Amino acid sequence: MTDSNEGRKKILVIDDEPSVVIYLETLLQDNGYNTISASNGNDGMEKALEHHPDLICLDITMPEKSGVSFYRDIRKNEETKDIPVVIVTAVTYYGGDPEPFKNFLSSRHIVPAPDAFFPKPIDKKEFISKINELLA
Amino acid sequence: MVEDCLSKFVQEQLWNQVPVAIALIDRDFRISEINSAFKEQYGGGVGRPCYEVYKGRKSRCKNCAAAKSFSDGKTRVREEKGRIDEGEQRYYIVHMIPLRQPDGHIPCIVEMSTDITLTKQLEHDKIEAERLAAVGQTVAGLAHGIKNVLMGLEGGMYVMRSGMDRSDEERIKRGCQMLEDNVARISTFVKEFLQFARGHTPKVKLTDPNKIAQKVYDMFYQKAAMAGIGLKLNLQEKIAMAMMDEMGILDCVSNLVSNALDACEISDKPGRSVSLSTLDEHGALVIEVADDGVGMDYEVKKKVFTNFFSTKGSDKGTGLGLLTTSKIVQEHGGKVSVESEPGKGSVFRLVFPRDRLPTMHKKEEG
Ligand SMILES: Nc1ncnc2c1ncn2[C@@H]1O[C@H](COP(=O)(O)OP(=O)(O)O)[C@@H](O)[C@H]1O
Ligand SMILES: [Mg+2]
Repeated sequence: MTDSNEGRKKILVIDDEPSVVIYLETLLQDNGYNTISASNGNDGMEKALEHHPDLICLDITMPEKSGVSFYRDIRKNEETKDIPVVIVTAVTYYGGDPEPFKNFLSSRHIVPAPDAFFPKPIDKKEFISKINELLA
Repeated sequence: MVEDCLSKFVQEQLWNQVPVAIALIDRDFRISEINSAFKEQYGGGVGRPCYEVYKGRKSRCKNCAAAKSFSDGKTRVREEKGRIDEGEQRYYIVHMIPLRQPDGHIPCIVEMSTDITLTKQLEHDKIEAERLAAVGQTVAGLAHGIKNVLMGLEGGMYVMRSGMDRSDEERIKRGCQMLEDNVARISTFVKEFLQFARGHTPKVKLTDPNKIAQKVYDMFYQKAAMAGIGLKLNLQEKIAMAMMDEMGILDCVSNLVSNALDACEISDKPGRSVSLSTLDEHGALVIEVADDGVGMDYEVKKKVFTNFFSTKGSDKGTGLGLLTTSKIVQEHGGKVSVESEPGKGSVFRLVFPRDRLPTMHKKEEG
């Protein structure tokens, strides 16, 4: 919406749910970020290589290319491996403990674990303050 | 020498040490001789009618296999329900072997029955375990879907409220739309959830599989025609009835047909069609739905049952259809199989081995 806001940090939102994408984009824009979006892992990879976002918000269960395989690919690619990734997912992790799932995502430590983890529906305040912190 | 030993072995050891109940039944259907295992299981019975001892009946069984073996001299193997022992139904595999004299006369039949109650129980437990696994998966799947809807609703609220704060008409509209979309999704969820919940107490009765297929065909015929998709019905004539939950199986078959039509609608090939068939194959009742729609690649095929998964837009897919279907089919002791090739189409089959279908607690046969 606001590509005119030069100098703002750019966040790529990847989710297959249109409502979630609109929500996160609106919320992030309202908090001073520029956004772009993609609806699956393949589309997301293209956008990440083209736009070099400062941070990525990533869903896990998506058609075509899931968040899991997207995450592993982005961490292995020289161009994108340092972009902070915040996972926003409805995947239920056992007993509310995200650690095993983080390990799974990082292919048992072959790639680093994601920078943050938010279960859906997100806590807006915590979400924004984590993003601010990661981009500070 | 060897023959003597063998006959001694048969007479003394085999006869009395095998864990199989053996009795000789004469032409009046009276038990004339029994081995030790028989005595142990039935507490005796020499001189009494076989139907009385085996089944606790007062008259001969309809469909008496011994009578048939007397008349045609053939060996028969049958699975039989025995007496109810301390409230527990017992099951047996029964071998009926006619003893023939050199002149061809058959004076008696050797009836050997092996107690398979435990095997039956294990089989039942296994089906139950599969069912529970499917239930757990479905509940986890539902939780997943509901969280997404909840996030969509919260998003709609955020967008609408912030639109109101800024008097931004566009935003308010967008927020409203998000709320509407996600409320609509909830009603789809509730409908499918009810479908899922009903499966818990399947109302099993003797059902004509062709009738189910016909009903589903009638439900979708119009819709298919309007989308330019041919819907064909191939019913196997005089297919045997089956103990099934008619509503449950109807849901399963309509899920498959609905998915098949979706798959055709997405594909842009001309002359697309879906066929719905019933058939009996290797002792199993098969209901098959084949389409020449988009098909599935390996990744999609892997996920269709195991996870909460849909490749359709959020307004169309809930990813519950196949999960519910496999759950209901498993409750009937059956399996859902799938063959699919991207660009070619898919074949979904509900396979119900007839000997694993639910049994009715009907009055003892006869
Ligand atoms: N006949 C078919 N052809 C191609 N894909 C299919 C077919 N049936 C099911 N699928 C795939 O399996 C997914 C899950 O199906 P289902 O559990 O019925 O959920 P839904 O239809 O709500 O998406 C579908 O989204 C689709 O990707
Ligand atoms: Mg479906």
